[in-house]
Amino acid sequence: MSASSASKPWLRIYVPLTCYFVFMFVPFYWMLLTTFKADHELLTTPNPWWIFHPTFKHVVDLVAGTQYLHWFANTLLVSVGATALSVAVSFLAAYAIVRLRFPGSKTLSAAIFFAYLVPPAILFLPLANVLIALHWFDKLWALIPIYTTFLVPFCTWLLSGFLRTLPRELEEAGRVDGASHFQIMTRIVLPLAKPGLISSTIFCFTLSWNEYLYALVYMFSSANKTITVGLTTELIRGDVFQWGQLMAGALLGTLPVIIIYFFFVEHYVSGMAGALKD
Amino acid sequence: MAEAAPALAARTPTLFERLRRAADTPAVLGPLLAAPAVGLLAALVAYPLVFGVWLGLTSATLGNAGHFVGLANFTALFADPTYRAATFYSILYTVGSEALKLSIGLALAMVLNQRFRGYRAARSLMLLPWVAPTVLAVLAWQWLLDPQFSGISWLFERLGLIHHAINFLGTEWNARVSLIVVNVWRGVPYFAIGFMAGLQSIPAELLEAAAIDGAGGWASFRHIIWPLLAPLTTILVCFSSIWTITDFQLIWTMTQGGPVNGTQVFTTLAYQRAIPSGNLGQGAAIAISTLPFMIVLAYFALRAMREK
Amino acid sequence: MRSLDRREFLVGTGAVAATAAGVLLDTAGAQAAAYTPMFTPESGAKLQLLRWSGFVKSDEAAWNANTQLFTKLTGIPVEVQYLSWTDVSPKAALSAQVNSGPDIVMGWYDAPFIYPDKLVDVSDLANYLGHDGGGWYPVSREYGYDTKERRWIAVPIGVAGAAAVYRKSWVEQAGFHEFPKNLGGLLKLSKALKKNGHPCGLALGHAVGDANTWAHSLLWGFGGKQVNPDGSVAINSPQTVHALEYAKELYETMIPGVSSWLDPSNNKAFLAGDISWTINGISIWVVAKESFPQIFADTINAPIPMGPVNRPTPFNLFTQAFIFKYSSYPKAAKEYLRFMLERKQADAWVTAMNGYVTPAARGYRSLPVWTSNPNVTPYRDAMVGELSDGFAGAPGKEAATALNDFIVVDMFADACVNDMPPKQAIQRAENRLKAIYG
Repeated sequence: MSASSASKPWLRIYVPLTCYFVFMFVPFYWMLLTTFKADHELLTTPNPWWIFHPTFKHVVDLVAGTQYLHWFANTLLVSVGATALSVAVSFLAAYAIVRLRFPGSKTLSAAIFFAYLVPPAILFLPLANVLIALHWFDKLWALIPIYTTFLVPFCTWLLSGFLRTLPRELEEAGRVDGASHFQIMTRIVLPLAKPGLISSTIFCFTLSWNEYLYALVYMFSSANKTITVGLTTELIRGDVFQWGQLMAGALLGTLPVIIIYFFFVEHYVSGMAGALKD
Repeated sequence: MAEAAPALAARTPTLFERLRRAADTPAVLGPLLAAPAVGLLAALVAYPLVFGVWLGLTSATLGNAGHFVGLANFTALFADPTYRAATFYSILYTVGSEALKLSIGLALAMVLNQRFRGYRAARSLMLLPWVAPTVLAVLAWQWLLDPQFSGISWLFERLGLIHHAINFLGTEWNARVSLIVVNVWRGVPYFAIGFMAGLQSIPAELLEAAAIDGAGGWASFRHIIWPLLAPLTTILVCFSSIWTITDFQLIWTMTQGGPVNGTQVFTTLAYQRAIPSGNLGQGAAIAISTLPFMIVLAYFALRAMREK
Repeated sequence: MRSLDRREFLVGTGAVAATAAGVLLDTAGAQAAAYTPMFTPESGAKLQLLRWSGFVKSDEAAWNANTQLFTKLTGIPVEVQYLSWTDVSPKAALSAQVNSGPDIVMGWYDAPFIYPDKLVDVSDLANYLGHDGGGWYPVSREYGYDTKERRWIAVPIGVAGAAAVYRKSWVEQAGFHEFPKNLGGLLKLSKALKKNGHPCGLALGHAVGDANTWAHSLLWGFGGKQVNPDGSVAINSPQTVHALEYAKELYETMIPGVSSWLDPSNNKAFLAGDISWTINGISIWVVAKESFPQIFADTINAPIPMGPVNRPTPFNLFTQAFIFKYSSYPKAAKEYLRFMLERKQADAWVTAMNGYVTPAARGYRSLPVWTSNPNVTPYRDAMVGELSDGFAGAPGKEAATALNDFIVVDMFADACVNDMPPKQAIQRAENRLKAIYG
C-alpha cells in the first residue's frame, strides 16, 4: 500500500467492501422482499425492490400451516449428530496420522482425501445398496453416518494441519511423566486443539444443515423430512411455487447458522489459521 | 503420576495391563484411532465407489445388473454430442468460477484482515452465501435473473443503461456466465475465510520488515505474501474445484442444463442419463470420466499439503 | 369377480367419498363386514405409497380420505408420501435398484418401462379398471402395457392436461372472436397480438413439462416424429422442417427470454399480464381465481389448435401407478389401487383435483366437474389424440433418454433462438438421437 492510499481507509476498505456486500446481499434482500410480499405484488409492482403492502401471511402459513418446526427439529438433530460424529472420528484419525505417525499413516491420509472425489449425485445410488444391507433406510439418524462421507475428509485435513502445529515437546513431556499416548491425546492435546475443533464443527454444521440430496432420497416418511426437503416437497406444487413461504423458510432456516457464525467467526478463522501455520 | 509409574513396574503386569501397554505404541494405537474414520469411509464411500466404477464398465440399467462391456460406455460417450457439450461447460464452469472466486476471495480477505469499524460484523456477514441452503438461495437468483421479473434488469432500465431486459439465462453464453456468477457468489466466502486464515498465519514481522525495506503494496504482496499463500491457494482451489465439479443442485435448479445443453455439466448429464432415463452404466461412466480431473487435483492438493 | 355384496357396498363408499367423508365414516365400519376384496390381501399387510404432491391441496385431502376409508374397511394401514412431481423419479429409480422402498409408486412417462422386470403383473387390475372406467384411451395402454412380455405393468391414471390459456379482451382486440382451432389461425392471431404489444410465451428452456408439451405437440401436428415404430431415427423429414419453420415464425411473436423458461415461468408471466396466451395446465386459471382477480376475469382456456394433420396431437405429462415385486404385500397393493382408482372412489378424487388431472379412461368425461365451468372443459379432452413420448416408437429407456435429454425441445430452441436453419437443427437432433437409439 502506498502511503497516500493507506491514509484513505474508505478507498482501501469501505469501497471494495461495499461492492462485495451489495453483490452478496442482493439475493438475501430479494428473499426478504419475497417473504413479505403478497402474491400479486410479487408479479405486478411499480418497483420490485420495495414492498408496498407488506404481509405476514407467508410466515404464518409456513409456521402454522406446514410441519416447518418439525423439519427444523429434524435438521437440528441430524446436523448436531453428524457434526459431533465427524469431528470426533476426524480428530482421532488426525491425531493418529499426525502425532503418532504409525507406518502407513501417509497413505491413509491420502486415502481419506480421495474419499472426497465421488460426486454425491452418483454416489447415492450404490450407497443405497449399503444402506439397505444395514437396514438404515428411512431412519432419520442414519443421515448422521451418511453425512460423514463428505465431512470427515475435510475435517481430517483441517485437524491434521492444526495438530501438526502443536510442539512435539508436549508428548515428550507427557511420556516422561508416564502418561500413555491416549492420555496425552485426551488430557494435553485435546484442550489445545480447541480452535481447530471449533473450525471443523462450524464447517460440518453448515454443510449438514444445508444438505439436500441424501435427505431427499434416503428418507421416506414425512416425519423424517429436513428443512430443505420439507420446503421443496411441500411448497412446490407442479408449476406453482409458494414463493413467499419458500423464501421465508430459507431465511428462517439460515438464521441459526448465521448466529453461530456471528459468535464464532473469530475462532473459525484462527482455527483455520492454526491449521495453516508452518 | 510420576510416583505411580515405579509402583506399576514393580508388580507383575496382568493380561489387561499388558494389552494396554501394547496398545500404547504408535504402531498399534495409530490404526486403532484411525479405524472409525476409515471404517465409515470404507463402508460408505469406498465400496460404493468401486461399485460405481464397475457399473461404468457394464450395460447395467436401473434394476438390471447388465453384463461387462469393457469400455463400450466410454467410446459411446465420446461420440455423443451431448457429452461433448457437458465436457466443454464442466471445464469452463470450473476454471471460470475458480479463477474468479480465488481473486475476489483473496481481495476480500486482504480487506477484512484489517481492523476497522464493524470488522467483526463484516467478517461473519460475508459468510451468508456460503451458509444459506443452496437449493433455496438459487430460487432467489432465479428471480434476479428472470427474463421478465429481474430486479436487476428493472434497475438498469431505470438508470437508462439498457433498453430491454437482459436475457440472463436465455442464450447459451449468457447462461454460462450467469451460472458462474452464482457459483462465485456462493463460493467466495470459503476462499475469503481460507485466505484470512492464511494471512493471519503470516508473521507480522515479515510484513513489517517489508514495509521498512520500502516495498510498496504490490511488491510486498507479490514477493512476500503471495509466495507464502501459494500452497494454501492450491489446497483451497483443489477442495473448491472438487465441490464445483461434483456440484449438481445449482445448475439443475437454475437451467437443468439448458438452453440447448449450453450449461450441461458432467453431474447433470450423469444424473439425467442414470436416474430418470435408467441408463445406469452410462451415467456411471460419465461420473467416472470426471475422476481423471479429480485425481490431478487431488495430486496437487496432496503435494501442497506435504509442502506445508 | 364382482359379488353382489361388494357392488352394494361400493354404492355406499362412492357416496362417502363424494360427500363429507368424515360424517359417514362411522357407517363404513358396519359395512366392513360386507366388504369383499377383489384381491385377498395378505394377512398383516401394510402399504407404503409414493406419489407426487397434489397440484391442489384438495387432491391430497380427497386421496387421504379415500385411503383412510380403505384402512377402515380392510384394516390395512397405508402410509402415503407426497413428493414434488420431479422428485418421484429418482426415488422410484432408487427403489428399483435396491429392491426396497415403497410398495406402490405413482410415476411419470416411461418410468415402468425402464425397470419392467421389477414390476408386478397388474393385467387383471388394469383390465378391470379399464372396464370400470369406460375404456382406456389408446395412449393409456401404451404407458401401461408391456408389449414384449404381453402384460400390464402399470395402471394408467391420467395426464396433467394442457390447454391454451389466453386473454379474452386482447384476442378480441386483435380481431378474433374465439381462439383459433388450427395452427394457421394461431400464427395470424399471434402476429396481430404482437403488433398490439401483447406477445405470447411458450417455454423453450429445459422445462420438463411446459417445453416438452408444446414442442412435441407441434412436431406431431405437422406429421413429424422422432423415430419409426421399429426404433430407427426418423426426425429428419420435411414434416419436421415445416414444424420448425412454423415455430420460428411463432417465436418472433413471443416475449423475449422464453429460451430460459422453466415450468413456473409462463405462469408468472401470464399472471403478471405480460403475455397474451400460453399453453399450460389449469394451474394458471386456478391461481388467477385465487389471487389475481383482474387477470382471472379476462382469462379463457381453449383447446390447443390443431396442425396440418387435422387432429389433436397433444403431449401431456402422463402418470401411472405400479407395484414393485419386492413388495411383501402385492395383493394388498393391488386391492388398494383397485379401491382407490375404481370410479366409485376415484370420481370424488378426480373432482377434487378440479381439472388438474385428466383420467386415462373415457368414462370420466361425464363427470360434472368438466362442465362446471367452460374453462375446465378443454382439460377434459386432454387425452384425446394424446401420443406417447418417443412417438412413433414405444416407451422405454431410449424414449426416456431422448425426453430427459430434451432433444426435441433443443431442436426447436436451436431453430428459434439460435437462428439455426431448420436442416441444421434437425441434423443436430438426429445425431443426438442416433447416439441414443443406436
